[in-house]
Amino acid sequence: MSTREERERIELLQGTLDLLILRTLLFGEAHGHAIAKAIEFRSDEVLQVEQGSLYPALHRLIRRGWISVQEGTSENNRRAKFYRLTVTGRKQLATETNRWEKFAGAIARILLPTGERE
Amino acid sequence: MKRRTKRLLNDLDQEIREHIELATQENIDRGMKPQEARYAALRKFGNVTRAKEDAREVWSMVWLEQLGQDVRFARRRLRRSPIFTSVAILTLALGIGATTAIFSIVNSALLRPLEYRDPQQLFLVCEIVPQMAKFYPVLDANFPDFRIWQTQVHSFEDVAIAESTTADLTGQGQPEVLHGVRASANIFSVLGAAPALGRSFRPDEDESGRGHVVILTDTFWRNRFAADPSAIGKAIMLDGIPHEIIGVLAPSFRFPAALGGLENYARVNFFKPLNGPAEYEQGLIGEFDFDAVARLRPGVTPQQALAELNVVQAGIARQANEGVDLKGLLVPLEEQVVGPARRGLLLLLAAVLVVLLIVCCNLASLLLARVPGRMREAAIRTSFGATQGRLIRQLLTETLLLSCTGGALGILSATFALRWLVRMAPPGIPRLDEVHMDARVLLFALVMSLATGAIFGVIPALRVVRSQPVEALKTGTAATTENRRTRRVRQSLVSFEVALTTLLLVLAGLLTASLGQLLRVHTGFAVQNVLLADVDLPPQSYSQLHDRLHFYDKVLVGVQSLPAIRASGWVSIPPLGGQGSVTGITIPGGPRQQEETPVANYRPVSPGYFSAMGIPLLEGRIFGPADDGRKIVVVSQSVADRFWPGKSAIGQICITQWGADTPAEVVGVVGDIRTVQLDEPPLMMVYVPHWFNAISVPASGAIVLRTGNDPSSYVGPIRELIHSIDADVPVTTLRPMSEIVSHSVDSRRFPMFLAMVFALSSLLLASLGIYGVVRYSVEQRRLELGIRIALGANLRDLFRMVLRQGMAPVLVGLGGGIVAALLTGRLIASLLFGVASSDPLTLAAVAIVVASVALLACYLPARRATRVDPMIALRYE
Repeated sequence: MSTREERERIELLQGTLDLLILRTLLFGEAHGHAIAKAIEFRSDEVLQVEQGSLYPALHRLIRRGWISVQEGTSENNRRAKFYRLTVTGRKQLATETNRWEKFAGAIARILLPTGERE
Repeated sequence: MKRRTKRLLNDLDQEIREHIELATQENIDRGMKPQEARYAALRKFGNVTRAKEDAREVWSMVWLEQLGQDVRFARRRLRRSPIFTSVAILTLALGIGATTAIFSIVNSALLRPLEYRDPQQLFLVCEIVPQMAKFYPVLDANFPDFRIWQTQVHSFEDVAIAESTTADLTGQGQPEVLHGVRASANIFSVLGAAPALGRSFRPDEDESGRGHVVILTDTFWRNRFAADPSAIGKAIMLDGIPHEIIGVLAPSFRFPAALGGLENYARVNFFKPLNGPAEYEQGLIGEFDFDAVARLRPGVTPQQALAELNVVQAGIARQANEGVDLKGLLVPLEEQVVGPARRGLLLLLAAVLVVLLIVCCNLASLLLARVPGRMREAAIRTSFGATQGRLIRQLLTETLLLSCTGGALGILSATFALRWLVRMAPPGIPRLDEVHMDARVLLFALVMSLATGAIFGVIPALRVVRSQPVEALKTGTAATTENRRTRRVRQSLVSFEVALTTLLLVLAGLLTASLGQLLRVHTGFAVQNVLLADVDLPPQSYSQLHDRLHFYDKVLVGVQSLPAIRASGWVSIPPLGGQGSVTGITIPGGPRQQEETPVANYRPVSPGYFSAMGIPLLEGRIFGPADDGRKIVVVSQSVADRFWPGKSAIGQICITQWGADTPAEVVGVVGDIRTVQLDEPPLMMVYVPHWFNAISVPASGAIVLRTGNDPSSYVGPIRELIHSIDADVPVTTLRPMSEIVSHSVDSRRFPMFLAMVFALSSLLLASLGIYGVVRYSVEQRRLELGIRIALGANLRDLFRMVLRQGMAPVLVGLGGGIVAALLTGRLIASLLFGVASSDPLTLAAVAIVVASVALLACYLPARRATRVDPMIALRYE
């Protein structure tokens, strides 16, 4: 990993990690490392997750009842914790996504010149 | 925490390890070397401990857990430096204890509402005769006027009057003078309190001849009747008349000293009803002897009530037809009770808070000395992922633990201090008998503890946190010189402490100087070797003038048999006994109208009084037995100066207006005396012989003895003598004049003493602070000093340098303190006597004391600096 690459990466905005985890789990249950990898892969490695902060975030979501946790076996046949979306989590993801789109749209309208708007 | 959560957290370790392993494996798959792959995975994961803590935080009341950890850690650290810990706890305990004790007094005197029903509705009713306002700006209430208010002032729900009184208790062993209150029957209903036992007064008991009933105070009932409820209905002999006990007041009941001019409710034994106006109490104007308290109707403003009262007063003046006007005044009872003492008490509270602040400065300074050590620790913690907030919290826990322990000890010591203070305090402090530590006091102590902990902890904590962790780790243990910023903070603390100390010393110095001035004041009478015996002749056997005279004569003859009596006499009211028997005085051809004539204090005396009291005869002679029957008087110098300036007063005629106008010839002029208080200028005095008129032999008077040796050795013989002449005459007080003079300044001595204690404690604390700072700075600079010495620096120069650097902040503080004292001087001017608040002598003395104590505090460590052994200092590195 070169320094240049690192510079192009973007630290996550406060609170967006929760949203990304919920979105990732929409595809099905996953363990911690897989979630982190999925987020990075799906953002073309632009979004930098400090992977340590993934675990407190997972616990936060469990506490709110948006995801649940189950014991399972990982791809290399070890015991692992698998996280999955709950029904409330699914609803929450919809509202959060909606809010995010509004937010991103608003920012974009301000930042982009008028002509480039659709 | 739930079981499920616990497992989740317990498994987190495993989960994270798994995560990192997976990441490592992936890196290896991408072609990294195993070692490199693992590092990359770890880097990417970030701070493992932090992740775990944050995850825990999601589930728990984390701050509570951390508090527990912090307290345990703080306790461990404090136990490791026992000297620092005990010094801190002890000074905090004293500081918080003293502050709490003073606050308890302030709380009960100024903050707690009076314990009556709706106390804000209670007002003192005073009367004003504008024509006499020159001499008596405000008068108390008159009996017939009170009756008129009761029926005509509708803004008053009710109004009651009271006056202090005494009664001779007989029929129970030695005769005894009881202190009591004579009050209108409705007094308890106006205040909103009822007796705990028995009944209150009935309205008809205010009528003449029907008021031979008493209500006892709780203390008297306990002491005299052993709290026996069957005392109700029994009779006690007061002034020779049986009075039925009809009730006992609750132990919590307090009668405001402002009503009835009481010194202290604790001395009151009984309440009795008015029992009708006495003969002399019938006039509508004059005899303003009672304190009146009115309860305003709900919804009536004091302004409305006053307007109505003034209309009624104008009617009374018309009815009296004495050519004077009459007005009224309403003073909130609360204000009357606490008013005069407020400033002094608040000043004491401020002074003790300053001491506490100095304690904080010292502890902050001590903690700052420990900052470098803490910096390393903080740096290590930071690199393990501790946040700044977390570090500050942990450091503050340590100081709060100290201050709360100190506070707990402080509350304990305050309870003892309070008991002592209440015993020592002069009567001037309102509601002193109600002082106790209530919830508000405890809350105050708690807030003080937390505040001190925060104050002295926050500066060092910020210093620790602001340090650069890398720097702190790199520098290692010993720095060549002291950290400059830390040093500057400590020096400003020293300046601040010195300034506060200077301020307190100036205050204490000024109060002391005032007291000194007061005691040196020219009293006009002899203070040493004078004994006073106050007697109270029971009215039933001494209603006649000649009986009273006979008694005094027998006493004066009797004392001649005692050894070394230089002179003896009697007087109606001795010096410092206050005003009394005030009369208008004029001269033939002078103004006759009462409102235009000046007033003088009128004193019946025996001829021997002047030499016994040491009042010098300036001109003429004293009246003697040969003058019997002649209308002659002796006047004080101020009377002579007022009426016959530049002329001899002897042979002149003055007219006293006591009762009827009485012309009398002046035969002598004597020196002026302080009549009321040492700090009040002399009043005009007219001394009359016993044959002057029908009231010239007082029923209560003082026998004055000039003794050849210690007057207190005469106390026993005098008591026996009076007892042998008439066993029914109580001797109310028997004291040397010196004691009376000293007692009269108690109300000044007490705050002065406390201010001095506070000032000296802060001086001690400040000097310890200075010593600590200089000593520490020398310690820190051992290496630098060692190098200087090794290079051949002059030891004297070195000594001077340390001294100079130590004294610099002291001088800054001293200057600041003096400026502050000059600026705030106005606030205490009313508490001073005979010295200005900018008294240069006091300021200079304080400056010298502060500077020399500070010099001593710097001297010891400075000498140490010159004894640094360069070899050891250099090797020490």
